[in-house]
Formats: sequence, structure tokens, C-alpha cells
Amino acid sequence: MEVIACYSNKGGVGKTATSVNLAHALAEGGKRVLLCDLDPQGASSFYFRVKPSKKLDEARFFEDVARFTKAIRASDFERLDILPANMSFREFDAFLARVRNKRSRLKKALKAVGNDYDVIVLDCPPNISALSENVFKAADRIIVPVIPTTLSARTFEQLIEFFDENGLRRRKLAPFFSMVEARKSLHLETMKEMRTRYRKLFLDSAVPYSSDIERMGLHRAPVRSYAAKRPAGRAYAALYEEVSGKGAK
Amino acid sequence: MKLNKPERRTLLVLPGRIDLGEVQPGGPLRLELEPPQEAGAFTLLDDFSQSLQRSGRALLQLGDELILLGADGEVPSQSAARDGAFVHDLAPGQVRDALDDISPLRALLEVASGTAQVQQAALLDDEDKTQVRAELRVLSSPEGEVTLIAVEHMRGYDKAHESLLAALAARGAHMEQGMIGEWLAPGREAYVSKPVVPLGEGRTAHDVAVGIIRAYLGVARRNEAGTIADHDTEFLHDYRVALRKIRSVLSLFKGVFPDEETARFKAAFSDLMAPTGQLRDLDVYLLEKDAYFNLLPESLHDGLAEMFRQFQEERDAAQRKLARRFRSRAYAARMAEIEAEFAGGDLPRGPKADLPAHDYASALIWKRYRKVCKIARGIDAQTPDDEVHELRIGCKKLRYLVEFFAPLFPDAELATVLKPLKKLQDNLGLFNDYSVQQGALRAFVETHQGRTRQDDIETALAVGGLVTVLHDRQKAERARVAKRFGKFDSDEVREAARALFHGSEG
Ligand SMILES: Nc1ncnc2c1ncn2[C@@H]1O[C@H](COP(=O)(O)OP(=O)(O)O)[C@@H](O)[C@H]1O
Ligand SMILES: [Mg+2]
Repeated sequence: MEVIACYSNKGGVGKTATSVNLAHALAEGGKRVLLCDLDPQGASSFYFRVKPSKKLDEARFFEDVARFTKAIRASDFERLDILPANMSFREFDAFLARVRNKRSRLKKALKAVGNDYDVIVLDCPPNISALSENVFKAADRIIVPVIPTTLSARTFEQLIEFFDENGLRRRKLAPFFSMVEARKSLHLETMKEMRTRYRKLFLDSAVPYSSDIERMGLHRAPVRSYAAKRPAGRAYAALYEEVSGKGAK
Repeated sequence: MKLNKPERRTLLVLPGRIDLGEVQPGGPLRLELEPPQEAGAFTLLDDFSQSLQRSGRALLQLGDELILLGADGEVPSQSAARDGAFVHDLAPGQVRDALDDISPLRALLEVASGTAQVQQAALLDDEDKTQVRAELRVLSSPEGEVTLIAVEHMRGYDKAHESLLAALAARGAHMEQGMIGEWLAPGREAYVSKPVVPLGEGRTAHDVAVGIIRAYLGVARRNEAGTIADHDTEFLHDYRVALRKIRSVLSLFKGVFPDEETARFKAAFSDLMAPTGQLRDLDVYLLEKDAYFNLLPESLHDGLAEMFRQFQEERDAAQRKLARRFRSRAYAARMAEIEAEFAGGDLPRGPKADLPAHDYASALIWKRYRKVCKIARGIDAQTPDDEVHELRIGCKKLRYLVEFFAPLFPDAELATVLKPLKKLQDNLGLFNDYSVQQGALRAFVETHQGRTRQDDIETALAVGGLVTVLHDRQKAERARVAKRFGKFDSDEVREAARALFHGSEG
């Protein structure tokens, strides 16, 4: 069971868009996938038309596997389930700790109720004020959408520093350029600069700025289900290929 | 396809079609029905004795896929590719594995065929989220229609799933998938190779004899078409067994008909039997083909192959000849005549015709039983083979009698006698088969000529090898006879036999 987190220490960069489309592509590729929507706003759940779960008794939520699995919903796509978690930050942290420490137990428990997932995708909530060490430890891979702007470059630098200072393995990080606008020379320059600076760290594939992605909110479905052949759909396919090729066991 | 996706899938069947729109299964949910799509041809398969349907299963070929409905657990499926009509002719796969209980001698025949239509249905909530899905597959044959409904449970949406299942159940859908043959090909008559003839109160020996003869005449006639079509060798086999049983009724039920009538009937049935013997013999040799190849070293295989080539040629000719006979007007007229004779209520009566069936049966069986025991007790290592053959025939007659009258006697006691009798018969049967085969092989060498002299030498060598092996086996079976009879001649069996058939004195 591989855990892939979509994370950024910056908001509105495309974490949810990435989680939704990557989870969908993984499931299409034959993996059994659980997408955990850890955002209290329930953005990924919204894209899959899954209603947010009722506020569960927090203290016991993670103790009780039955409750946990009861909250899981099948998406309309084969092999892809959603956990509409509806969590506060504290709960989120506790959840990650559980994933990290009791992964084998969690896996066993899920298997026992007929959910043997190959991949768990975490759509991390916005506004985690601190850099969440629990995310870094719980995940096997951390996909980081980076908008190629000067500001984003600074934020990413902070993330790298945090990793280095805390002895975390940089190699877990899989940053990619998100919302790329090819006509903006600033975007192209920033990308070139960052690729040179963090050699081999950035994924080759990048996701363009695209109205097809914006329209996810209208379609309420992953991009590839309505625009597989268009640039945005192809970009997510390429991202999936790279992520599963690099990290899949 | 979803039919064979076992997780979270419930497979229901329903006669005819269902209009989900009319059923309103959703409550607050919205039903979305896609237009039906043509999905190619289907064929429903079963053997002649309906082994699959009787065990609650249905073997379906849908396009190039083969699926087995009604099996325990998952729905086995595999490629429909096959190079013959038997289970062992199927490509290796789940379905073939799941059919290992089907007789290797019985061909899978087409029960019904037609076209399939597939329609997807879903129930959605107010966010347009799908909560349960169903795939409806309508199979239409010229005689009937059936709908297979695969309902897919989606995690977290139990209520929608349950309400759809309940709505379908209310419309008569259920999980007895083996039923679909009844709906796609209604009115087929079940085939029973051993019909039970009712032997109620007040029946006379004459009633029983006529009843058995009528029933087995019916069995013989049911096997004519399959023999003509040459689906498998069991048709002719069952045909002959049915006639043999009739003949044994005629010879065993002494005094039920006047003697001259009995003789006339016997001659009539022997005339029916006679033209079938050659084909059956050749069928039996050919069924032994693989076994014979396994008995001999490879150096003798050329000769065997040549011999079986000749057998096969003869067999095909014999089959054509018999099929011609079965199709002839003369045969049809003769069968109709015999059937009419036994259908009438005024068959001539012999001196024992009016004895109550039970008394008559008990006396006959008891006499036969004692005769068998007498022969068997005299058999030791030195006894000539002829007497072993006599024992075999005696056992066969005893078995027929017991089975004819079985409904008159309590099952448990009857089983006590029948079980060791069957074992003894298996042993005697093998002894006889090995002996008959040796004779037949020798006769083959004497009467056949291959295409070249070399062919003849090779087959003679192969036959020599086979006769040696078969002779050894026959000796081994022979050595077992006394022991097997010992088991049949136990105190327990003796007491059961006395209580069953000689009650008044026991
Ligand atoms: N590549 C893209 N092109 C255009 N719009 C995008 C793209 N990625 C995300 N968006 C839009 O940007 C907004 C924020 O994206 P989202 O995935 O929710 O970010 P996050 O989860 O990091 O907060 C959403 O309205 C989304 O539709
Ligand atoms: Mg988000």
C-alpha cells in the first residue's frame, strides 16, 4: 500500500486538482485507490459528487476501523473510493500519525472489510500553518504542485530547507510545475532556473493553466472523463505515467 | 463485462423482460436508463440428461466468452474456444474446472440460442452521484426470454442497493440462475435413464411388467434422435440398456405373460437390439483408445494407431448404417406397433399375472438371491472362468430385479444389499471386460487387413502386447472375486436380504 500525498505549503496551487486527477488516472490504470479528502471544505468530494460525511465523533473516529470504513464511498469510477473526511487540523494530524505508525494495521483493517487498496492518495488541506512533519513521514511520495512564479519559488525553497534541516529525505518530494502559462516568459524562465537548481527533483511533466481544469467544478468529474484528448487531460496522463513509473512498487 | 465481476455483484434472473421505469425502484433517487445495445449471440448449453440445470447451474456462451451461472461463489468464466462437444474439449479455464462433475461421456448440447441485448441502468441522487448500478442482459430465443440482472453494490450506498434489490425481487427476480433453461426453452421433457415405475397398492405382477416395459420403451425412443445425430456414445448405450432391461423383464418375470407371448416379445426386442451391437462394440473400443496407448510402450504405438484408424472407419460406417435404420419408415412403423401393443390395456395374461406385485417380487428376488449365493460360494481359485461369467450374469439379473421393484421396499435395507452387490458387480464387470477385449482384439487381427503388410505386422505386435496386459488384469480381477463376494455374503447383508425378500419366514 503506497501513500501519495498532494501537498504544498502554499494554498490554491492545484493540490486538489492534482489529487482528483491523479487518483482517477491511477484507478484507470488498474490500481485500487482510496482518495482521502482531508480538506474540511470537501473539495475533492465535491468533484466526485460525494456528499460530505456527517461530523463523526472525532475522538473515536480513528480508533474504530468500522467507523472509518463506513465513511468510505464508492466513486462513480471503477476501483476508486473516496473518504470524505471532513476533518479539523488536529484530527488531520492524528490521522496522519495513525497512517504513519500503524500502516500495516490500517492496511489489515481495510483488507478485512474488503478494501485492499494499492494506493492511498491524500488531498492535504490548505492553511496548514506549520510544515506538517506528519505528512512528510506518512507519505511515500509527496507530490508538490509549484506555480512557476518568483513567490512560489521562494515557498518551495523553504520546503527544501525544512527537509534538509530536519534530516528528511528530499527524494520523497516529487514537485511539478502547475498552472503553467507557456506565453509568460517569467514562467518559462522560473521553470528553467528551478530545474537547474534542483537537479532531477522536478518531474518532467507539467500541468498547463487550462480552462478545462477550471471547468472541473462544472462537470464535477475528473478532467480525463470529459477532456482526455485535450492538453489538460494529456498532461494528467503524463503526470500519472511519471508518478507510477517512478514510485510504484 | 460485469456478469463475472464477483465483488459486490448480485446476479439475479427473471423470466421475460422488466421495465425498470415502471418498477420505480429508486424512491428519492432518479433512474437513468441507457438505451439497450445489441450484444451479439448467446447459446445455452447442457448435456442430454440436463446435469447442469438439475444442479441449479446454467452454462452460457455469450459472444466469445463462456460463463457458468449458479455455481457456488464466483461466476467462473473463460474463453469459449473449444475443439469438440465435451467438457474436456473446452480450453483450460475456470469453467472447465467447475464442470469436472459432468460425465466425460456426455456432449454439451445446445439447449437454446438467440441474441442478447445489454442495457445499463443507474440510480442517482440529487447531486447526480450514482448510488447503485445495474446491468440488464436480455437473452431472447425463439421460444422464450430471460433477463439477467447484475446489480452492483457501491460502497457506502447500502440503502440504494437494498431498495433496488427489493424492487426487483417484488417483480419476481431471484438468484436461481439454473432456471434460465426453463424459460429460454420451455416445455422440454426431462430425460431420466432409470425411470421409477409406480408400484402402488393393488398392483399386480402384470401391471408392474407392463409398466416397466412401457417406461423403458420410452427411454429407448428418447435416445434415437441423439444416436442419429451422433452427439455422444451415451445415446446408443442408454438405448441398448433400456431394451436389455425390457428383455430381462420378459425373461425374469416368468408366468406374467403366456409363454408363447413372452417368446414373441423377446424375439421382437432381440430384433431391435441386434443391429445396434456392432456400433456399440466399436464405440467401446474407441473409448478405450487413450487407455490402450497408456498400456503399451511407445514402440508399439504405430500399430495401435493403425488399429484405431481402422476401428474409426468401421465405426463411422456402422453409425451411418444405424442412423439410416433409425430414420427408416420401417423402423418407425415397427416401434409404433410395439408401443401400441404395450400401451393397450388388454395384453394377454399368464398364470402369475394377477399375483400382488410385492409377493411376486419377493419370491423372485429371494430365489435369484439364493441362486447367486450358491454359485458364488462354489467359486475358488480353481473354478473355471465360465462359472465366474455365470455369477456375473446372475448378479446382473438380481440387480435388475431389485431395481425394478425398489419402490416396494424400504430404502435403507435395500441399500445394505445393493452396495456390496454393486461392488461385486464392478469387479465381475472388469473381469468380463478384460476377457471380452482380449477376444475382440484377437478377432481383429484375424479379420482385418491393413493397407500394407507392415501395417499388419505392427498391429499384430500391438495386439499381442495388449492381450498380455489385459490377461494379467483379468487374472487380478479374478483373484478379487472371492473376497468381494465375501463382503456381499456377510451376516448383515444376509439378514437384510432375508428380512426384505423372505419376510414371512424370517
Ligand atoms: N492547471 C490549472 N489551470 C487552471 N485552473 C486551475 C488549475 N489547477 C487548479 N486550478 C483552479 O485553481 C483553483 C485552486 O485549485 P485547487 O486544486 O483547489 O488548489 P488547492 O487544492 O491547492 O487549494 C481551483 O479553482 C481550480 O479549479
Ligand atoms: Mg484543496
